Amino acid sequence: MVKKLQGEAFLLSANELRTGKVVFFTKKGWSSSTREAIKIKADEINKYEEISIREEKKCKIVSAKFVELDDAGNIKTLRDKIRNCGITIKI
Amino acid sequence: MYKYSDTDKKIIASRVKQFENQVNRRLEGKLTEEEFKPLRLMNGLYLQLHAYMLRVAIPYGELSSKQLRKLAFIADKYDRGYGHFTTRQNIQFNWPKLPDVPEILNELSLVEMHAIQTSGNCIRNISSDHLAGLTINEIEDPRPWCEIIRKWSTFHPEFSFLPRKFKIAVIGCDEDRAAMLVHDIGIRIIKRHCQVGFEIFVGGGQGRTPIIAKKIKNFLPKKDILNYLEAILTTYNQEGRRDNIYKARIKILVQELGIERFKSLVEENFSKLSNKELEIDKKSIEEIFQYFRLPPLKSSSDKIPLEDNQEYKNWIKQNVIPHKIKGFSIVQISLKEPKKPPGDATSNQMKALAKFSEDFSFSEIRVTHEQNLVLPHVPNKELFNLWSQLKKENLATPNLGLITDTICCPGMDYCALATARSIPISQKISNHFNNYCKQKEIGNLKIKISGCINACGHHHVGNIGILGLDRRGEEFYQITLGGSAKEDAAIGEIVGPSFSETDLIDAIEKILNTYKKHKKNKGEDFLSVFRRIGIKEFKKDLYDNFTEKS
Amino acid sequence: MIILQKNHEHKNHYKKIKEQDFLKKKISNGSILTISQWREVEHIIQAQEIDVAIEFSSDACILCENDKLSKVAMIQINFKTFKDGRPYTFAKMLRKKHNFTGELRATGHIIPDQYIFLIRCGFDSVEIEEEHKETWLELLEMDEGLYYQP
Repeated sequence: MVKKLQGEAFLLSANELRTGKVVFFTKKGWSSSTREAIKIKADEINKYEEISIREEKKCKIVSAKFVELDDAGNIKTLRDKIRNCGITIKI
Repeated sequence: MYKYSDTDKKIIASRVKQFENQVNRRLEGKLTEEEFKPLRLMNGLYLQLHAYMLRVAIPYGELSSKQLRKLAFIADKYDRGYGHFTTRQNIQFNWPKLPDVPEILNELSLVEMHAIQTSGNCIRNISSDHLAGLTINEIEDPRPWCEIIRKWSTFHPEFSFLPRKFKIAVIGCDEDRAAMLVHDIGIRIIKRHCQVGFEIFVGGGQGRTPIIAKKIKNFLPKKDILNYLEAILTTYNQEGRRDNIYKARIKILVQELGIERFKSLVEENFSKLSNKELEIDKKSIEEIFQYFRLPPLKSSSDKIPLEDNQEYKNWIKQNVIPHKIKGFSIVQISLKEPKKPPGDATSNQMKALAKFSEDFSFSEIRVTHEQNLVLPHVPNKELFNLWSQLKKENLATPNLGLITDTICCPGMDYCALATARSIPISQKISNHFNNYCKQKEIGNLKIKISGCINACGHHHVGNIGILGLDRRGEEFYQITLGGSAKEDAAIGEIVGPSFSETDLIDAIEKILNTYKKHKKNKGEDFLSVFRRIGIKEFKKDLYDNFTEKS
Repeated sequence: MIILQKNHEHKNHYKKIKEQDFLKKKISNGSILTISQWREVEHIIQAQEIDVAIEFSSDACILCENDKLSKVAMIQINFKTFKDGRPYTFAKMLRKKHNFTGELRATGHIIPDQYIFLIRCGFDSVEIEEEHKETWLELLEMDEGLYYQP
């Protein structure tokens, strides 16, 4: 899953298996909000990757990925922002 | 329209049951995501950025009012009240939930629809000319052939795990309204020495390696069509590359082998493996043609009503074309209403259109590859009445073929593969060029926008193509010029360095100014001018005082 | 692992030949050879009354025009991944071009949802984990025998 991750801090994110909804990993499990999401340092990636594999096996989530944070601790890339906040257009 | 036989119904019903079984096994953990993915894809189910997406097949773009109503029902009950019509004449729902999908498929099966093979590495939904059966210069209606190929390709045991996806389009006249030449196989019905048969093209496609299909067969007798397709697919399944996803389409195989070598392999398979049972006899051709007969249209001398209403006049001029039966018109419904994602229709619009098709068009609707809809058989005398009603539903935008009639993929707002957004770009274009007179002055012009190199928005074949890129986290847009998806198909040329979202409209304006400057007469459209003067003139005007921000 | 032939379960009678046995040309009943091994010993086996098999990997399903298969009792195709569709076409070629009439078996990474496709393309049997047998049989059972292709 880990593909040339460059940043220093990340969130572990995934889609809920049943709904496809974007979720983030918190101390209490998966949440649709980033508020309590665990901030993961680069050297903890392996540990959280194992967690994500375990969680996928439980059939709760799918397509787990690490979301990179910028220096201020906000989600860095536009794609991940859209993933988190939803589509940018009015329907 | 085609009507399902009992066999069709049973096959679809058993497929729904099978998918329900697969979904349950997935939810219980008996199927891994790796194993489930190709199975769900073969049922049109993707996982996108923030939800699942279900792509429903609309074979050769033909819908009945009942089917359109069912799509509206699904949009309301299982989604968020809208759907998105695609460049392969399908419809996508953006927010279904996995456990609901078998139920949605069941609902679809009740109106003879499904989502089979709308994704995955198999033969996809067969696409065609949205004006099939409606125009005078047609040699033969392509839809029956699409239906024959649809059946043959559905759950084909040998071709369900191809190196990559496989798209086939069939057209019935010289004019190409189905982008046939950028399909893996393009089929054109032709007449030679009083005999009707097929001209076959192979290896066209877009994506990161855009290629115009090459002719592999000058004339194929009707009866051999399935055996010949089978010979091509046999060759591809065996020889196509599987080591690199970007080189796995048939176009790369044809390119690497050369068309002559590829053709000789196909011909060998055709002569050695052809199966008598796949030959199509006259009787079964006639049987299938019965389903596609025109509704009972009585020709008349009825004229299009003249009303003193400029908007109506614009709409007639832009969106309405003559039917082959006198006294009737083909009404093209633009899904490019300003400020709306191109190709989107709300459930209310779908319901309204279903009603209009019943009142005015023998319950028939067509979907175009340019993401618009068509009411195919409207009596001329009803046109003003229909327009008035369409207008109330925001379905009377008079922009068919004009600059705001863009093709546009969902882009990064929805798609997990996209590198930039595309819908906001198309909205900017439609806001900027909103005025009908201004658009009319620019004339016929196809802008096509893709949010990544996979080219779902057909940017390679846009007269002006726009490709969204990610440059160090910022969205940039590369412009190509001179592409065409028609019978004179061409891949656009990159004009130069890309533009930021802010500079893009300005760049388009400059390109249009170059066009206007060189236009010889009122009728000379953008593509003709481009072909006459070449890309250099455009480059010169575009980049002279322009420094690219990076 | 078990062998499933339609809905019947069988024991596997075939085993890959050991390199040292092959070097001594000790080919016994039930040996599985590679295609190059087969080409080497074909003339010996023609005269013997033993059942041998050839194994192909799904990514190397290649035969020459003059490969003789009439004395081959079984051909086994090992799927590297279930997404590799080449063996389906290879099966057709074996049956139609090379007139192979022996048993055709799928092994390796195959999934129950492919069972009908495999059978329809000319496979006779599959090698699967015993614990998955029920699912394979269930999917076989669900098939109503209605197809669009001959």
